[in-house]
Amino acid sequence: MTYAFFNATFFDQAVLGITPILLAAMAGTLSERVGLFNIALEGQMLVGAFAAVAGSHFGGSLQAGVLSAVAAAVVFSSLLAVGSALLRGNDIVIGISLNLLAAGLTSFLLRTLFGVSGTFSDSAMLGLPRLSIPGVASLPLLGSALGHQNFLVYFSWILVAAITVFLNRTPWGLRLRGIGEQPAAAVALGADATRYRFLVTLLGGALCGLAGLQLSLGSLTLFSENMTAGRGWIAVAAVMLGRARPLAVAASCVLFGLSDALGLRLQGEGLPNQITDSAPYVVTLAALVIAGLRQRRLTGAVT
Amino acid sequence: MAYLEMIDIVKRYSGVLANDHVDLAVERGEIHAVMGENGAGKSTLMSILYGLQSPDQGYLRFKGSTLLLQSPLDAIAHGIGMVRQAFRLFESLSVWENIVYRREPRRGIFVDGARARAQVQELARRHGLPIDPMARVAHLPVGVRQRLEILKALYREAQVLILDEPTAVLTPAEVATLFTVMKSLAASGCTILLVTHKLNEVMAVSDRITVLRNGRVAERLVTAETNPNAIVRAMTGHPVTLQTSKPREPGTVKLEARGLTVEQHGRRVVDDVSLTVRGGEIVGIAGVAGNGQSELIEALMGLTVVAQGSVYLQGRNVTHDSVAAHRASGLSYIAEDRARTASAAAASATDNLAMGFHCQPPLAHRGLLQQKAMRKWARGLIEQFDIKIASVDTAVGTLSGGNLQKIVTARELAHNAPVLIAEQPTRGVDVGAISFIHGELLRERERGHAILLVSAELSEILALADRILVMYEGRIVAEFARADADEATLGLYMAGGTRS
Amino acid sequence: MRIAAGVRSHLSRRVAPLLPIVGAVAVGFGVCGLIALWVGLSPSLMFRQLLQGAVEGPQLFETVARAVPLVGMTLAAAIPLRAGIVNLGADGQLALGGCAAAIVALYFPAPDLVRLGMALAAAMVVGACYAALAAAGEILAGVPLLLSTWLLTYPAKGLCGYLVRTPLRDPSTAWPSTARIAVGARLGHLIPGTPVNQGFLLIALVAIAVIFLDRHSSMGFELRLRGLNERFARYGGVALNRQTLGVMIASGAIAGLVGAIMVLGSQFRYTDGALTAPQYSWSGTLAALLAGGEPVGSVIAAVLFAALQTGGFAMERSVEIPRVLTMVLQSVIILFLAMRGAIWKRA
Repeated sequence: MTYAFFNATFFDQAVLGITPILLAAMAGTLSERVGLFNIALEGQMLVGAFAAVAGSHFGGSLQAGVLSAVAAAVVFSSLLAVGSALLRGNDIVIGISLNLLAAGLTSFLLRTLFGVSGTFSDSAMLGLPRLSIPGVASLPLLGSALGHQNFLVYFSWILVAAITVFLNRTPWGLRLRGIGEQPAAAVALGADATRYRFLVTLLGGALCGLAGLQLSLGSLTLFSENMTAGRGWIAVAAVMLGRARPLAVAASCVLFGLSDALGLRLQGEGLPNQITDSAPYVVTLAALVIAGLRQRRLTGAVT
Repeated sequence: MAYLEMIDIVKRYSGVLANDHVDLAVERGEIHAVMGENGAGKSTLMSILYGLQSPDQGYLRFKGSTLLLQSPLDAIAHGIGMVRQAFRLFESLSVWENIVYRREPRRGIFVDGARARAQVQELARRHGLPIDPMARVAHLPVGVRQRLEILKALYREAQVLILDEPTAVLTPAEVATLFTVMKSLAASGCTILLVTHKLNEVMAVSDRITVLRNGRVAERLVTAETNPNAIVRAMTGHPVTLQTSKPREPGTVKLEARGLTVEQHGRRVVDDVSLTVRGGEIVGIAGVAGNGQSELIEALMGLTVVAQGSVYLQGRNVTHDSVAAHRASGLSYIAEDRARTASAAAASATDNLAMGFHCQPPLAHRGLLQQKAMRKWARGLIEQFDIKIASVDTAVGTLSGGNLQKIVTARELAHNAPVLIAEQPTRGVDVGAISFIHGELLRERERGHAILLVSAELSEILALADRILVMYEGRIVAEFARADADEATLGLYMAGGTRS
Repeated sequence: MRIAAGVRSHLSRRVAPLLPIVGAVAVGFGVCGLIALWVGLSPSLMFRQLLQGAVEGPQLFETVARAVPLVGMTLAAAIPLRAGIVNLGADGQLALGGCAAAIVALYFPAPDLVRLGMALAAAMVVGACYAALAAAGEILAGVPLLLSTWLLTYPAKGLCGYLVRTPLRDPSTAWPSTARIAVGARLGHLIPGTPVNQGFLLIALVAIAVIFLDRHSSMGFELRLRGLNERFARYGGVALNRQTLGVMIASGAIAGLVGAIMVLGSQFRYTDGALTAPQYSWSGTLAALLAGGEPVGSVIAAVLFAALQTGGFAMERSVEIPRVLTMVLQSVIILFLAMRGAIWKRA
């Protein structure tokens, strides 16, 4: 049994599972670096997921779905941008209420626009097509996972590299880092902190919209209520674990994606799904505890 | 017509006239000192010059044309730079990143790091301000950070440099270096405005002095033709006398530290410190900020974990006890950061004054608060300390620095604790309150309490302390009786030197 | 003359802080009205149904019955919030508490009333312990409670879901749930003929205790001041870690109690997902946020939200407007307040 435990499907599932978390975590990373605590990743992802399905269904094409996902998430994130970046309201309160607003709105629209509750699926809807990278796609075990995925998966990898370069090598990345670290100093030297925060939030919204798109149209094509199932929060945890450094955050996302796939695999082996569903959350918690204990040992505990 | 002029400046804050028709004229390449007591109006005047505020009346003229400054960015664009007391640096970034921030040399869409570092090196060399462009700011000592702030201004081609109390955080040796730098900058055509209240420095380095008192220009002096007494008379209106304590026979040891060591990030920030404070004496700790004084106090208070050594309060070993246990053993603490640590801005005066007393009679009875007693307590303290506040329910965040410091002092002194730690008790406080607080500290001493005074103001320590310890890099490097101490010797030890 | 001026200034000091809330509520209703229009429904009809559905006749008792768990969950959220701590794990503590109550009420060998008492106690203990787990994560490893409490809800709900499907499953029902709890071990009706049960008394007691302690005890003082400035509290001698543990235990215990009340007072069995379906935790968190953790304000907000939700159910039955719109309304109100900085402006 063990020889087939980690098979090609496992890694394929893992990559599919990692992608939305990775995209959202990149949004969270940029927010964190500019000094905002963005816990509304969950809600923005959900809005994107719904809009993707709605756009694809009513617009009749995949492109319409993609555009809707991004547009809707950006519009939704403008609430966060105005409240947090512009008006400097409390990040946590705004984030929580946006998450709940997204859940309520998407459930409401599910009923009023599609006339169903729970789940909407349309077999005629096209999902994201998979692209093949010649050479990579024929690798054993990892071939499908790495070489035969949709464009969002590859985009997310390029994104991690792009953000790393942006932050460390470009003038705007430097200014962003300064704003996040010491806004007073940055503003004194002429950086427009409000503009950076605002734009980063909107960009984060777009990325979360893409994350939602991956969720609802990436493998199966459906929307179900609260389908984000806490992935946005796991993205927040990933940002924390990776200390808002893109590569470390990406590594944390891989960890969670793998544990998610592991949970599914164990379910296939007969373990009750209520237990295996908890796998990514327990792994996340364990990782946070371990990282926290290490940090405590390094800096010396405070009474 | 002068190079830089501030003409007929008037600025009012809620009824108080901070600047009352002030005129200032500065020549090119001059080191011009702007002097005055805390609250005389120097900071306001300079903040207007730097574009942080607009004057209610009056205007600025620079190189013949009128200046209208909307913000510091305007000032920088016109060639006016400022180095403030509280540095504004990006700790996790490197020196060169801090200097070129927002004026980064580019190569395409990327930052040209190599060119930036070269430019920084050249700038540093040209002005005699050696610095390592690659160093991370978080690891730099205070003196070097100040150099960094100066370089930031020079990188932006400042022709006028305002230095606001620059020596507050420097050792005497670093001060001497700063003066050399200032003179060479002036010689190369840079005009320097030195805002300070320290006489000896002004005498050492300035060309001319404008003295402010109560918002007005009291005197304009030429340094070469005046003397310290004349300046003091101009600043205060009368010759200055600091309260000094009379010698006293100290009592029993009330506070003792033995071999105290605190570690952070693998470094010993407090290194094998032993000290005693007896009842009826004030022990002063002199030292440049950042040499472990804050960490030492936190260890004495129970706010930080002690790696080695022990702390005794009135004979009890309290080393690993909680803050509450420390306070219960007879320790009060006037914290340096009154807004962030020693008070809650949104809470009322009643609440702020009750903190620390809220579990015992008369303010609480068996765990239940006695509201009337709390208000009475607050009213009593406000009256006793002459605190200017609308009512006991007013949030303390609205109070001035001096009044807030009085609230903190009132509360901590109300404990009548046998041991008191006072950390920078008169920082940013007006003259009247300074005198008041010093009086209170001396009264505590008369009552036989043990006082540990940590201050960056050597004059304060020399006036109040019976014994003076010098702290450098986490260690106590010298101890003096007041009679044996003077600024020069203290300064030597503060900088890590030793008398051979 | 002076008295009138004094009264006026005293009133304005009390009234002024309420104005942003009134404004936010107005915006919330406005937004919902617009959404209703957009999907072709009549806003005025909607609001009328909402109001009638909340307070007319027997509906008032529905509101009261709903207010019991809602006020409970609001208090569970408000206690940590007073100290600036966010407990997002109330759902997990609720489920574990309800499950524990069902197990004790069904299987513990003891006479009826004793079983009832033990079930309530067990629910509180279980909820408290689970919340303490998250507190330990913060105290020992610095894991933010905001995250750890949220993450812990999944294993909690998973465990209850597993228990109720396998060992405890009542095969005679269609949904995964336990057997029915004996009549003697249930919380009886408080007002006959209405859904209001004795849980009302329990929650009322808890509310009174929380309000009293917050206002009149040294403990409440320490909690409030910590919420205003944590460094100041520490400096003043407040034992922060002990306080964190204490508020989480209290919060978890109350959430567990609410779970027990739902199981023993209205559902009479533990059914997977039935406790968390009404989303009392989220509404409770929102109500607590609205009041900034202040107990009296939190209770008032909770009662208002209960009215809103009951009205929403009735509205859905009569004019087919999905009741989730009330959730939208609640979120918009909080969002608007938070944006205007009326809720904890950022430092």
